[in-house]
Amino acid sequence: MGLPNASEDLSAEMEVDAFRRLFPLRYFERHLSESIRPDARPLGRARDTTISLGAVASADGSALAKIGSTTMLAAIKMEVMTPSLESPDEGCVSIDFHMPPICSPIVRPGRPAEAAPVVAKQLSDTILSSGMINLKELSLVSGKAAWMAYLDIYCLDADGALFDAALLSAVAAFSHLQIPVVSLDYDGKIVMVTEEQKEENLENQPVNKDKRKLTLSSIPFSLTCILHKNYILADPTAEEESIMETLVTLVLDSSCQLVSLYKPGGPVLAYTSAVQDCIALTRQRVKELQDILDEAISGMEID
Amino acid sequence: MAELFLFEKQTQQNLKKDRMAAKPATTSTTYSPIDPIHKTRPPIFSNSDVDWLRPDSRSFHQCRPAFFRTGAVNSAAGSAYAEFGNTKVIVSVFGPRESKKAMMYSDIGRLNCNVSYTTFATPVRGQGSDHKEFSSMLHKALEGAIILETFPKTTVDVFALVLESGGSDLPVVISCASVALADAGIMMYDLVASVSVSCLGKNLLIDPVSEEESSQDGSLMIACMPSRYEVTQLTVTGEWSTPNFNEAMQLCLDASAKLGKIMRSCLKEAASDVQE
Repeated sequence: MGLPNASEDLSAEMEVDAFRRLFPLRYFERHLSESIRPDARPLGRARDTTISLGAVASADGSALAKIGSTTMLAAIKMEVMTPSLESPDEGCVSIDFHMPPICSPIVRPGRPAEAAPVVAKQLSDTILSSGMINLKELSLVSGKAAWMAYLDIYCLDADGALFDAALLSAVAAFSHLQIPVVSLDYDGKIVMVTEEQKEENLENQPVNKDKRKLTLSSIPFSLTCILHKNYILADPTAEEESIMETLVTLVLDSSCQLVSLYKPGGPVLAYTSAVQDCIALTRQRVKELQDILDEAISGMEID
Repeated sequence: MAELFLFEKQTQQNLKKDRMAAKPATTSTTYSPIDPIHKTRPPIFSNSDVDWLRPDSRSFHQCRPAFFRTGAVNSAAGSAYAEFGNTKVIVSVFGPRESKKAMMYSDIGRLNCNVSYTTFATPVRGQGSDHKEFSSMLHKALEGAIILETFPKTTVDVFALVLESGGSDLPVVISCASVALADAGIMMYDLVASVSVSCLGKNLLIDPVSEEESSQDGSLMIACMPSRYEVTQLTVTGEWSTPNFNEAMQLCLDASAKLGKIMRSCLKEAASDVQE
């Protein structure tokens, strides 16, 4: 175990960049002991976050979310399905998460990223169990037709905290969603109602005239933290995630109730106190994210 | 929103893959609601219909406004985002990096290209995956412009993702890819600018949108290096008369020259931003 000591001796004479590459962990720990991170953030602060709604015109609802340089594009397309016999009054939400090869040097075409199915499962568990969407609102004609909302999230740039950015883009896309106006034709199929038809008086009336928006109750927001020794680092970058491996992802809803807590192993054990600290950080973050989302939505309404 | 569905092809079934649904999907078939009036599309041109306005009210020989921005993806060596009307693409370039182990030794560098579509890129969900040939066409369009000798034994990866398909996707991907390659500092003889022309009846429409592409009689696409006046790729499909063909080619070359200038100015701007 001569290495850590050797690095200490060398650090005085080595260039910063070389030191960072050769001894990444020591490089980070030096910063942490000064309560700062290499990108000049305090330990508990998340990166700058932006949301822009309506990025994709070919979708019924879409949003682009950026946390630092991690970028996610989420879009929803609405299709019609026949509801199942057990729940004739409910629609369905199908969630998928993609990491195309453009997003990171690790992903190559034909070899999907390991992280993608994990994040996809987490997302679909979180969104469906948080009760944000009332599936009954997706019903069109009881037992005959209901909406199937296909939510696809694409990672355009992967730089850590993928789940946080993906969830943020997903809830933003749902709040941007405009359900198309449809009516039932004589063959029992659901068809679009166009602008001209709306003005004419039609024998087949639209079935969902006043149900163009979903009511989102208790929106879930998340924060991923790294646990390393006694330090807690909020919103890690890809580099930090690769060096310090213990991650905790917390999801709280807008009224700060716990939706999920996810700690996929890692060498550091989370003490109760550490988990409580993480919850406190997440609480702050939920307020920030709620404000950012509200601002994005109100910006849309002015336009 | 309604316009989006106007020209939708009705019969095409979308590809469905296994997905995580909220509950086990008892009925796996879903469909997009379709506007019943425009089921059968009226012919865009009758014989002497010269006053026809294009869907985005351009004139026949006018391109959509082009927008490029470099540095769209931080984790890539170079990247670019391009937006032509509703066509939006991102291209990332990785490398030069180690070639796959199975590859034979090579004195010159390798180029590896991939083009994919998002599931929501097309009006009907999941239709974008029909364009399997785009990857190899992108490869062939760029190959001639890159100085492969400058990175022997290694591979440069060019990955494109079409975020939204609004027509002329491949030309936009090719132009965007060459900006991304320049952003990554890969040596090239010149930027590759690409433009396509659709032939509808007697009329030539430059830089067609999806609706025009779906009703075209023929199409011509040129990828060229404007400053060297060299063509790297020329694709012609459908029915063409010789005068029409000559006119279309001249149109494309002129438009590529202009497009090349826009691409160049985008790169210059990015470079001057770095210096400041």
